[in-house]
Amino acid sequence: MQKYEKLEKIGEGTYGTVFKAKNKETHEIVALKRVRLDDDDEGVPSSALREICLLKELKHKNIVRLYDVLHSEKKLTLVFEHCDQDLKKYFDSLNGEIDLDVVKSFMYQLLRGLAFCHSHNVLHRDLKPQNLLINKNGELKLADFGLARAFGIPVKCYSAEVVTLWYRPPDVLFGAKLYTTSIDMWSAGCIFAELANSGRPLFPGSDVDDQLKRIFKLLGTPNEDTWAGVTQLPDYKPLAAYQPSLGLAQVVPRLPARGRDLLTRLLTCNPALRMPADDAMAHAYFHDLNPSVKNDRC
Amino acid sequence: MAPTRLASKPIGVNENLNGIMTHGITTRSKQLATLKSYKDSLKAPNKRKADSPLKDMTAKRAAFGDITNAFNKSTANNDKDKVMGMKKVTVESKLLPILKSVKPQTAAVNGKASKTKQLQKAASNAIESVQKHFAKDPPKLVATRAQNGILKNIDKKEKSLIKENQNQSQSSAKSARSDASGEPSLYMTALENMSPNDATKEGYKVISEKLDKVNLDDTANRSLDEETGTPHEVPDGVPDFDKENWNDAFQVSNYAMDIFNYLKNRERLFLIDDYLVRMKGITSWMRALLVDWMVEVQESFELNHETLYLAVKLVDLYLTRSSKTQPEKEHLTKEELQLLGASALFIASKFDERIPPLVDDFLYICDGAYTLSQLLKMEMTILRVVDFDLGIPLSYRFLRRYARCARVSMPTLTLARFVLEQCLLEYGLLNHSDSKMAAAALYIALRMKSLGSWTPTLQYYTGYTLKDILPIALEQNATLHKKPKSAISTVRNKYSHTIFFEVAKVPLIDDSVLGS
Repeated sequence: MQKYEKLEKIGEGTYGTVFKAKNKETHEIVALKRVRLDDDDEGVPSSALREICLLKELKHKNIVRLYDVLHSEKKLTLVFEHCDQDLKKYFDSLNGEIDLDVVKSFMYQLLRGLAFCHSHNVLHRDLKPQNLLINKNGELKLADFGLARAFGIPVKCYSAEVVTLWYRPPDVLFGAKLYTTSIDMWSAGCIFAELANSGRPLFPGSDVDDQLKRIFKLLGTPNEDTWAGVTQLPDYKPLAAYQPSLGLAQVVPRLPARGRDLLTRLLTCNPALRMPADDAMAHAYFHDLNPSVKNDRC
Repeated sequence: MAPTRLASKPIGVNENLNGIMTHGITTRSKQLATLKSYKDSLKAPNKRKADSPLKDMTAKRAAFGDITNAFNKSTANNDKDKVMGMKKVTVESKLLPILKSVKPQTAAVNGKASKTKQLQKAASNAIESVQKHFAKDPPKLVATRAQNGILKNIDKKEKSLIKENQNQSQSSAKSARSDASGEPSLYMTALENMSPNDATKEGYKVISEKLDKVNLDDTANRSLDEETGTPHEVPDGVPDFDKENWNDAFQVSNYAMDIFNYLKNRERLFLIDDYLVRMKGITSWMRALLVDWMVEVQESFELNHETLYLAVKLVDLYLTRSSKTQPEKEHLTKEELQLLGASALFIASKFDERIPPLVDDFLYICDGAYTLSQLLKMEMTILRVVDFDLGIPLSYRFLRRYARCARVSMPTLTLARFVLEQCLLEYGLLNHSDSKMAAAALYIALRMKSLGSWTPTLQYYTGYTLKDILPIALEQNATLHKKPKSAISTVRNKYSHTIFFEVAKVPLIDDSVLGS
């Protein structure tokens, strides 16, 4: 532990405190995430275990890099690459509206990181602005894999208690345990709208019912015709039959038509029809993306 | 030559309980009923039946319990366990799943009243006798811990039950119905492709008959929306499985080929060598006993098969790597072998299971041979030796993919799984890659059922020609032909059951058939 000098507390992750620290030899700034191991406990918490294992595997420019895992008697310390801020703080620091090119760049990088996770059989399951890190070069990185998990093919039932409410897809809100990569794509859609609105969350629900209501007011209440099987979901409840308001132009006024089209494809209630990350990257919205972002592969 | 058949039916505990546990598809309503009766039995003074069938069962065993004589020093056994070890079926395989599998869920006790009653009765029988068991030697530290484990478990789940109830304003028979399909119990794994409603509408028997006829793929009549092309070119004459399943989201068709190519690429990172030559005191027989016990734990705790395969992999990887880097005096001893197995299962559960068993459960199944701090220390040691990389490609996953792509029926896939699982015990097969093992097991299963040979489809999706896998298939076949030993009969017994289509009883074939 002497290798690093702690500088300041950055925040709390899913299962531990995060510190900014400096490598005493290289002077490199890193983020340290501490995981306490209590003797009377269940050993390494499964969230930490999964985060470490998955991040060891996922090495990509748009995914936060796990440099090292230090272990002592009572704790594990995860050494991460340090980023200056997360997307939430970036929103807070904005003066006025966000630059639409930045929206496009961030969204593309988010999708690229996601496509990498998904093609390496990992679901993130907790995408939200707080878990997207931004560095000085305008690079965006997926972080906090505490709720992530590897999936099999075909997928099995996983926990329904995943994804922060505002970013949780309707199928999971209805209690679906059988979900796949589409779970992250809904969150990506919510984040896209939030980006376009300079940080105003799209569906800031107060509880599950309110969340569903907000979603269906915008997109229309799904039924068996639009989403086969919806009424069979574990926690399905008939809600007021809202008609699609088709009001995306009002909801994300600054987003051009192509962007709205992409948003519609991500914010599709039926998970089977939700657009996957690799297809989204090929969407017309990104045709005029700054080539330096597009070609900047890992 | 067909193998001698061992008891195909698990030695019964209570016929009721046994029947439900092994035949039934666990539903939440059942689980809830059992939790309820368990709690009741804790509260109420026991009106025990004079002769609970569970009375003589032990709830745990040391991996080497029944062959203590095979090597002079046993790990931590007493005579009682020696006797009990032979019985194979343990209380925890009956009891713990009931307790453990009370998943946080809504109270869905509607319908199925008669079955629920049956189960309540069965469960309270089981619980009574376990209490009896605890009552027999209550001061034992481990028993207390284990009890804590069970109780803690229930407590935890109860809490989330309450939470869930608050969240869910409505819980209807509908939710109970889809829950039945939503719950991936051990036996759901075997019947994984059945559609949700079938699970409850029809009995198991009907389903299995249906499955016998129907191919793995049930998506044929779904509408195909050909909007997106597939990124991988499929040769002429080979059906494009992923494209055909493009609209079945659960197949993750758009990434499936990438993912399996990626996994195949990673196999070389996890090579297992002939580590036993470096190790004194551990033999391939001991390893077989250990894996046999791990299969038993997997069954008892209703763990995913992926968890079992991952745990076995961790055992072999640990032994491969640690025996290379550590001085001989620090090598794992046979007394620590079960600790390694239990810790590996503990880690694999945390990685893969939705609700992993608690650490106390793992201590308990080791029959008190190890302490908590030993287990936690071993957990960390394993993680360090494998460098926290648990994304290990598993034969079990490859097999499912290959079988699905070849549209093999469920009984045939299950037969291939039996081959693969039997081979888990075989030290001599550890040097082969998991994808090849899966391909070879599928090939044997196809031959055993006279379903033809290696097809271009299989060659495309596995990436192996018959020539590539034949030598492995022959080795696997030799494993199947080995004289069954009672000390390592768990896999055979498991797959002799109707829920697994009794595939262990399918007549074996000669090598000549494989080569033809």
